[in-house]
Amino acid sequence: MGKILMKGNEAIGEAAIRAGCLNYFAYPITPQSEVAEYLAKRMPEVGGVFLQGESEVAVGYMLFGAAGAGERVFTTSSSPGISLMSEAISYIAAAQLPVVFVNIMRGGPGLGGILPSQGDYFQATKGGGHGDYRLLVLAPASVQETAEMVMMAFPLAEKYRNPVMILGDGLIGQMMEPVEFPDHLRTAPSDKSSWATSGMATRGSGRRNLVKSLFLDPDALNNQNLLLKSKYDRMRCEEVRYEAYNLDGDYQVLIVSYGTMSRVCRTAVDNLKAQGMEVGLLRPQTLFPFPLEAVRTAAGRPSCKSVISIEMSMGQMVEDVERAVCGIRPVHWYGKCGGDVPTPEEVMEAVRDLMADGR
Amino acid sequence: MQIQIEGIVVIVGNYGSGKTEVAINLAVHRRRAGVSVRLADLDLVNPYFRTREARDALGRLGIDVVLPPARYMHADLPILDPAVAGLIRQPAQLTILDAGGDDVGATVLASLHHVLAPARPQVLQVVNPMRPFTETHAGCQRIQREIEAAARLKVTGLVGNANLIDETVPAHIIEGYHFVKALAEEVGLPLVFVTAPAHLAAECGADDWICPLLPIERQLVPPWKRPVDLVAAS
Repeated sequence: MGKILMKGNEAIGEAAIRAGCLNYFAYPITPQSEVAEYLAKRMPEVGGVFLQGESEVAVGYMLFGAAGAGERVFTTSSSPGISLMSEAISYIAAAQLPVVFVNIMRGGPGLGGILPSQGDYFQATKGGGHGDYRLLVLAPASVQETAEMVMMAFPLAEKYRNPVMILGDGLIGQMMEPVEFPDHLRTAPSDKSSWATSGMATRGSGRRNLVKSLFLDPDALNNQNLLLKSKYDRMRCEEVRYEAYNLDGDYQVLIVSYGTMSRVCRTAVDNLKAQGMEVGLLRPQTLFPFPLEAVRTAAGRPSCKSVISIEMSMGQMVEDVERAVCGIRPVHWYGKCGGDVPTPEEVMEAVRDLMADGR
Repeated sequence: MQIQIEGIVVIVGNYGSGKTEVAINLAVHRRRAGVSVRLADLDLVNPYFRTREARDALGRLGIDVVLPPARYMHADLPILDPAVAGLIRQPAQLTILDAGGDDVGATVLASLHHVLAPARPQVLQVVNPMRPFTETHAGCQRIQREIEAAARLKVTGLVGNANLIDETVPAHIIEGYHFVKALAEEVGLPLVFVTAPAHLAAECGADDWICPLLPIERQLVPPWKRPVDLVAAS
């Protein structure tokens, strides 16, 4: 199959099918409703199911149930919808179930707006729901990468028996780019017989699979949390992904930026290079686990005077950048979050200001 | 072969087929030929990547652009400006109505039926065979039927718009031309024009085509790219 032209939202739907996920439960919300529109047409063609819940709260528990029964299942939503699902996300993480969540972020807080934003960084990487859980968070910057990350998300969710979130912004969902899919499914579903509730299948075998999140005994709950922590520690070792751009030269400023915002930064880096200014760009592809070591190493380069986190939020990822840099360089922030994506010129000005001030 | 379109033209097509880019470039092309042009954005479904983004450049070329009221510009509310009905009653030499995608986006046309039907507009369906659901003739015809039912208008002609945006090469245009030419024969409609990125227009063998070529100077771009400067190019 050759390339076709797709919106990010359509590519998300097709990628899930190619990953062998035939269960999609969702509730429409701008700017991700095209996933539901696409799958309403495509799921019947492949024998799959798209079921619209009566709300995002209901969808969260439909996912919980289907995942508990061992089905590959996913949903898509946008910021306020993810807030409504957050209770279920905590339960799903506690019950150690593989579910893929896609958040195509819009402006917030509250109803906010319907244009692009990256304001849900904290929600995705630091919680959202209650308790000591983590999501594995992937942040694509192109339609092709969105498709690949969706296809990658299902096996990762099953590897860790933990929810995985794709964190994109409204632009990722809405923009069109050429995209290519593999002809064959990339991953077979994993063996879930040791934990999935399978109805009558295990009756009489002496073994019963139970999906639960209640541990009243303090030692049992502590052990449960230690078990979850060991999974998150393993993610920190095995799943860090990032992209380096112009990090070989003697850059004076290091930009850290993710998602579509990083595409703007890339253009700014190219333009500044043409003007004789060297700027490095590090793009985290996983937000949890955050590429702490890579950011620290890039910031520590002798030519690098300062680091700037550029994001469509009022400064969220910048806290992880500060954690990575550990005070060895000053860390700054630039961003906007009304819906207008900063332009390459605005990014260039922010970087030039840093250079001029010697900050 | 030159594009000679005048009158009221409604642009329809499946979601993401390139209606807005075609509408903008058709408006510019005809304006440069000295025709008076008005353009209305009727996409009530989706506020991303719309005519409004090219409003300033179009205004400077003397094209009258009718958009939803400014305070609703970034909403996804079904608000139709009463100015649109006025535009149909008092059209320019060329009046282009850019509808939203699919049958859902075309539904707005039914609400204008009382003014639109008597004006006997040309209804052009934009086809990009490199988009999902319109890779086959059957898919294109299905979309056509759905749009016609929702819009209460019959499609009167086809526009070929095969492209992969920045990755488009002449072979895509040529294959797309043959695809939409055969589709036009199958459904018994005229092939009104076929688009190509302006920088590839000379490489498509369009001299041998049965229809004219509309060069596309891309206006709807992501924030890290620049649209073609229409004013400088004019």
